[in-house]
Amino acid sequence: MMRPLSCLSVGWMIVSVVMADEFTPPALTELDAKASWVDRPVVNTLEKLTKHLQAKKRLASDAEVLALKNDSKENNAKILSTLGRQPIDPKEVNWNAAWNRRMGGEVKSVNPILFSSVSEADLGSYINLGLFSFDWELQPLAAEESVKSWQSSADGLYDKVVLRDDMTWSDGSPITAHDIAFSYRVILDPRVPALAVRAGTEELLGVHAYDDRTVVFFHKAAKATNVWNINFPIIPKHIFEKTYPADPSLAKSPEHVAMETNPISGGPYTIVYRQRGSEIVLERRESYYMHQGKQVREKPYFKTIRFRVIEDSNTALLAVKSGDVDETNLVPEQWIKQTDGSDFYKRNTKVKEVEWTSWHIVWNLQNPLFKDKKVRRALAYAFDYNELLERLSYNLYEPSSGPFHRESWMAPRDYPAPYQQNIDRAEELLEEAGWTDSDGDGVLDKDGIKFEFDLNYRSDPIIERYCNVARESFENVGINCNLRPLEFTVLVEKLSKHEFQAAFGGWGTGTDPDTYRNIIGTDQLRNYGSYSNPEVDKLFDQGASEFDRTKRGEIYGRIHRQLFEDQPYLYLYWRSSFYAFNKDLRGYFMSPRGPYNYGPGAGALWRVAAP
Amino acid sequence: MDNSKNDSRRDPPSRGFAREVAGRFFSRKLACLATLVVIFLTLVAIFAPVIVGTKPVVCRYKGGIYYPSLGYLDREWEHPIFRIDKFRNNYAKNLPKKDPDSWAFWPMVYQDPIRRVRADEKEGVPDSETLQPPSIHHLFGTDPAGVDVFAKMVHGTRTALLVGFVSMGIAALLGIVLGAVAGYAGGWIDHFINRVIEVVLCVPTLILILALIAIVPKPTIWHMMAVIGLTRWTDIARLTRGEFLRLRQSDFVQAAVALGISRAAIIFRHILPNALAPVLVPITFGMAGAVQIEAGLSFLGFGTPPPHPSWGEILDDGRANLTCWWLVTFPGLAIFATVLAYNIIGEALQEATDPRLRDARR
Repeated sequence: MMRPLSCLSVGWMIVSVVMADEFTPPALTELDAKASWVDRPVVNTLEKLTKHLQAKKRLASDAEVLALKNDSKENNAKILSTLGRQPIDPKEVNWNAAWNRRMGGEVKSVNPILFSSVSEADLGSYINLGLFSFDWELQPLAAEESVKSWQSSADGLYDKVVLRDDMTWSDGSPITAHDIAFSYRVILDPRVPALAVRAGTEELLGVHAYDDRTVVFFHKAAKATNVWNINFPIIPKHIFEKTYPADPSLAKSPEHVAMETNPISGGPYTIVYRQRGSEIVLERRESYYMHQGKQVREKPYFKTIRFRVIEDSNTALLAVKSGDVDETNLVPEQWIKQTDGSDFYKRNTKVKEVEWTSWHIVWNLQNPLFKDKKVRRALAYAFDYNELLERLSYNLYEPSSGPFHRESWMAPRDYPAPYQQNIDRAEELLEEAGWTDSDGDGVLDKDGIKFEFDLNYRSDPIIERYCNVARESFENVGINCNLRPLEFTVLVEKLSKHEFQAAFGGWGTGTDPDTYRNIIGTDQLRNYGSYSNPEVDKLFDQGASEFDRTKRGEIYGRIHRQLFEDQPYLYLYWRSSFYAFNKDLRGYFMSPRGPYNYGPGAGALWRVAAP
Repeated sequence: MDNSKNDSRRDPPSRGFAREVAGRFFSRKLACLATLVVIFLTLVAIFAPVIVGTKPVVCRYKGGIYYPSLGYLDREWEHPIFRIDKFRNNYAKNLPKKDPDSWAFWPMVYQDPIRRVRADEKEGVPDSETLQPPSIHHLFGTDPAGVDVFAKMVHGTRTALLVGFVSMGIAALLGIVLGAVAGYAGGWIDHFINRVIEVVLCVPTLILILALIAIVPKPTIWHMMAVIGLTRWTDIARLTRGEFLRLRQSDFVQAAVALGISRAAIIFRHILPNALAPVLVPITFGMAGAVQIEAGLSFLGFGTPPPHPSWGEILDDGRANLTCWWLVTFPGLAIFATVLAYNIIGEALQEATDPRLRDARR
């Protein structure tokens, strides 16, 4: 097999030769004869969302809602249903408006195949050409903006996509199927630091462009997750085929450095200004929605998008209050205590919705302290949930009992009720597991080992408060828990090396429940706690090869129940999204991944025209 | 002796260097005030568990006398009987319930520095809400976790003072010994120690501490003090060296040498006591610096994790809740007062020990 280091000096040719050796695509006629094609959805997500919203009832008028304070569930629903709508008449929209967005952290690169962070994903939706997307129910689909037709073979081994012929890059050259095949090759090149993007893409057997419009994705096996693997970012071949062989890092050569401030865009916007660490300005791209004098795509709502990099959430809130930025996400304390007054409501309003991001304490099951299921259940009984949910997060979070949210299609029908604090039960279970205070020092012990462990967490005051609840709760049942904050990168490193005892963390929902296998499957990469249950592994296998969504849902529901039973994590709560929006903004719709990371996401927002 | 008696007709008898300095020092009102502040803070730090807490200072339980409040100083010092008997941190309720004959001497204020006081814990003490402004129940308000800020401040005093004393203790020990050896021995030893001082001077304390936190598996406040001590001794060493260079030439040292007294004895018994007073100045300034470093680290979120309250940590909470003035004002004032007091003491010492400065004031 190829070793990344040895091919460094030989260069790019080796890579393509090896690839060609590994995979030779059949002729299209041969493939068409072999595969029976099934049509898959090609959707205009904005149109779909508009229809979805029209079917819902508007609970109030704009003026009424803008005067409201979001201090109850009813008001929250009113604001979302009214301000979350799409325009009825295009005249409602201020087409020359700018949208000043907050960016929580600087982007490392504006090259979409190097993306890995949330900020980069936010930027990517504006400048990246996407063939595929998913809607607010996380249903995969092909985007009507770029795809004419999408077919999968009945055996699940091929996906054939025919592109539209009216797409151009921002430099005027046409976007073709060859760009897609080329991007695939670059992403798979081990010398290219495209770690995050490569993760699913490398599951493909190959990608081949048969002509300018037709591209086929070849899969290694028939899996329900294949649909996510074909969704990778695309870069212009005519530019990168010249610059990439000399500099596979895509970041060091003068050409690549220049592209960081002025990249070629395939999406609805182009970057017109970039000041590292502070600002990125995007302008609407006419060549995106107009082709040969005709409008061929939805015109993006904003003329200008301005990202301001503001890392600190307090500074971000001040910027929203003063009108410097038009949106930011809020933390619970800000939601309750700092966005009540007229200084906030003068320019803004706020909305919240449950997001499928679950927070938990992960136990390292390699550690003898946590090997026993009874101990883990005892710890779950010992935890003071009320203190965390009611006091520290002001009842803004829902308690969680497993990996899948109650309202998701993966959730079991008999959804397990989250644990409640029951110290007596916790003590009973610990005693059953053999943990007693035999030496009378107030701390439980077993076989000469004291029950004392370190709880690691990302150094952050809010998380520290949550962990302090854990410390106090466990102390009450005779377990010493020491709080050990770590810097985020150090924490992740320790977690991936399994060098920890317990850690506080969270997982956002993937677009498919199979992504959870990576977290809980035996010996998987992000299975930090080393949980292993052959039953669960088997269920994941079943789930990946089952195509019927209802049946898949049942399989993942069983995983959820099994995890609730085994308690590899102490499941704590679902983090909600809290957002502040300028009063002129409309069209924010809250998906399980927040208001932006789905189709149409950020593209659904618009600014109301002055009356 | 006779000579001095004869001289006394012209001049009052010498009171000795230490007394002289003390006299001059305490003749300054500000210096007296600053000293009082430090004494006050020291008393607060020592008696913190008596001033505020939810664990009895002394109690009688099942025939024994216990001091549960020592648990605030170290978890191990709280007698395990209360954990075995499942008190679950609630002494007020459980003491009379589990032993009707028990009695307890409670701290002056019933609030806890590391946890929120829940409803129905003790009569007359309400459930602690988060981020409450100062009131009769919460003298300095509450923090975002509902913990009483007054309790945190009082118990945080211990950290603030301890950091100053311990880190400067280490620094003084190192600085004085190395400075004394360099100044007395001279030659290549002096040369070598001077180079070491220059190297250590280049090491930024804050960054070293941050690096240490990343490396050490279980960083504690003691690690932090050690780093501050190990990097802040250079000023002390330089001053000590200077004093030794001066005193080495003086008559009484020459006399000691002539008498054949050992080098160590000359350095530590004869020269050091005479060189010590000026050295106190960088030590007091160093204490002020150490308090600031600790508060700064906690403010940046790199301080000691719970259950160890610190002033800087309260300030950090204040930064996230700018409208809650009490989270900024009280710890801010406390840090300001402590650092100022140390600096005033340092300055007064400097003037009291340095005749040139003293005379310049006249």
